[in-house]
Amino acid sequence: MCDSNQNIYLPYLATVDEVIDETPDVRTLRLIFQDEQLRDTFSFRAGQFAEYSAFGAGESTFCIASSPTRTGSIECCFRGVGRVTEALRRLEPGDTVGVRGPYGNSFPIEQFFGKNLVFVAGGIALPPLRTLIWNCLDWREKFGDITIVYGARTEADLVYKRELSEWQQRGDVRLVKTVDPGGDGPEWNGKVGFVPTVLEEAAPSAENTIALVCGPPVMIKFTLPVLEKLGFGDEAIYTTLENRMKCGLGKCGRCNVGNVYVCKDGPVFTAKQVKAMPLEY
Amino acid sequence: MRKQLSSEHLTALLQALIAAGTRVVGPRRVAGILLYEPLITPDELVLDELPRRSVKEAFFPVCEDLLAYEKQGQQLTLQDVDPASFPQTVLVGVRPCDAAAIPVLDAVFSWDYKDQFFLERRARTTIISLACTSADDACFCTAVGLAPDEPRGADLMLTPLEDGGYLAESHSEKGEALLEAHAGLFSEPGAVQPLPLAQPQTLSFDLKKIKAWLDEHFEDESWDGIATRCVGCGSCAFVCPACHCFDIVDEGSEKSGKRRKFWDACGFWKFTHHASGHNPRDFQPKRYRNRIMHKFKYYDDKFGQTLCTGCGRCVRLCPVGIDIAGVLEEIEKKANE
Repeated sequence: MCDSNQNIYLPYLATVDEVIDETPDVRTLRLIFQDEQLRDTFSFRAGQFAEYSAFGAGESTFCIASSPTRTGSIECCFRGVGRVTEALRRLEPGDTVGVRGPYGNSFPIEQFFGKNLVFVAGGIALPPLRTLIWNCLDWREKFGDITIVYGARTEADLVYKRELSEWQQRGDVRLVKTVDPGGDGPEWNGKVGFVPTVLEEAAPSAENTIALVCGPPVMIKFTLPVLEKLGFGDEAIYTTLENRMKCGLGKCGRCNVGNVYVCKDGPVFTAKQVKAMPLEY
Repeated sequence: MRKQLSSEHLTALLQALIAAGTRVVGPRRVAGILLYEPLITPDELVLDELPRRSVKEAFFPVCEDLLAYEKQGQQLTLQDVDPASFPQTVLVGVRPCDAAAIPVLDAVFSWDYKDQFFLERRARTTIISLACTSADDACFCTAVGLAPDEPRGADLMLTPLEDGGYLAESHSEKGEALLEAHAGLFSEPGAVQPLPLAQPQTLSFDLKKIKAWLDEHFEDESWDGIATRCVGCGSCAFVCPACHCFDIVDEGSEKSGKRRKFWDACGFWKFTHHASGHNPRDFQPKRYRNRIMHKFKYYDDKFGQTLCTGCGRCVRLCPVGIDIAGVLEEIEKKANE
């Protein structure tokens, strides 16, 4: 995979190009590799992740949230909750971050050609699907109907608000956005209700359709039975797992769910694969 | 190749290696504790006791630098680590249970992405192991399919003889090279009598049977019974020759510092703790279960090897007396039910 004489823990350096506040505590960093050649050669697939570092604080694992079809920069999106993410939040345009990756498997997008897609996301879990959403929208003619069901606790907790409007206005995407009961403000123009309930109401057809689900464990737990009821088979449902990682390379030993290493075997799994795993995620 | 080496000539061999600038590492007493440490003179070598920690740290140190960083203004520069700086090393007096763990670790550090920190040290190191002539209650190498004279992982193996000195047997090209380079110190073996080998516990595990039980019993009430008393101190992992979990930590300020790799342990609560507060292994028995599963099932699933060589260190040092051999015995008993 890598040259044996390379330091596999050495990150690429990237410059913060833009800082975007998605919510009061969720931030996007747009990053441009400092090595000009790497800007053209760095390639990844939707679903892969990277180790991002704020030097002095350490490394943190997030998906690459931008689409592989949008080259020149990559984006990560994170909530400031720990030592590294708080340090990443303090960075300003022009500052340097480290990036190791891309790591892990990816969504088998070629297998989705010619099919309808239903994206189901909750809260901060939109970024791992957003990379795929834009990938699919940039190759729009290869897919059938595209439905996006996205919810958060409150209006303020929705990430990528500008893009939600963009998807809403496109004629070729059905966006169903929702907030938990009590999370709606006076100008809210979406649904009110939990994601699984709203998904059931939206009732996308399972015929020739792939479902892509990402969210907090409780959302996944209640969403899978709804998809089943709608007629989705376990192999037509994809999700990503997000266990804590350090190396991202299948060595450091902490992201395993049973004998499955999320960093190498994942992070993308079908519902069938997840159901076969012990409850350790 | 099979040769004989007198005790005096072993000292002379180490002396010659040290004089030539080779780093020689062997069991040496440091502040009262026996550890595999670089020897300044051959007489520091202590060969009649199992060192407190295993020899893995010769390849995978407790902590090591992965890179250094320095920031000037907004621009940051990285300094890589040069593997050529890793010294040529000879390990001497390595216990067979320690030596056997090294090829086991090769698997994880060399599959897919290559960890040059481990592998470059490995390439630059020759292992002289020493067959065991005594065992204590905690030793169980024979129970996991190894032996007091197990050659696995050894480049050159020394077996103590009745009349003093050693039988020296090479088990690799590196071992042959060492014999040839110092041919004057080795003699043709005469009619020698090796000292009787150690006889560790009479247990013998059916590792296949144990794995088959583990395959089916991720959820099992006995895990609670086995490990509720585990205090999660991590001693077992730190003294284990095969445990290799690690953390990556930045030490320094935003301006300058180092990124380092540290030993970590699956017994620690923080090991799998998410920033969100969620923890997939939120209860000590779940963490102990992972320890057993990793050693006797996951590593086997992935690399076809067992992540335990029966050195018994975890048994000797566990502050609450958890005996991994006893746990395996229990599991085998359940598998037979």
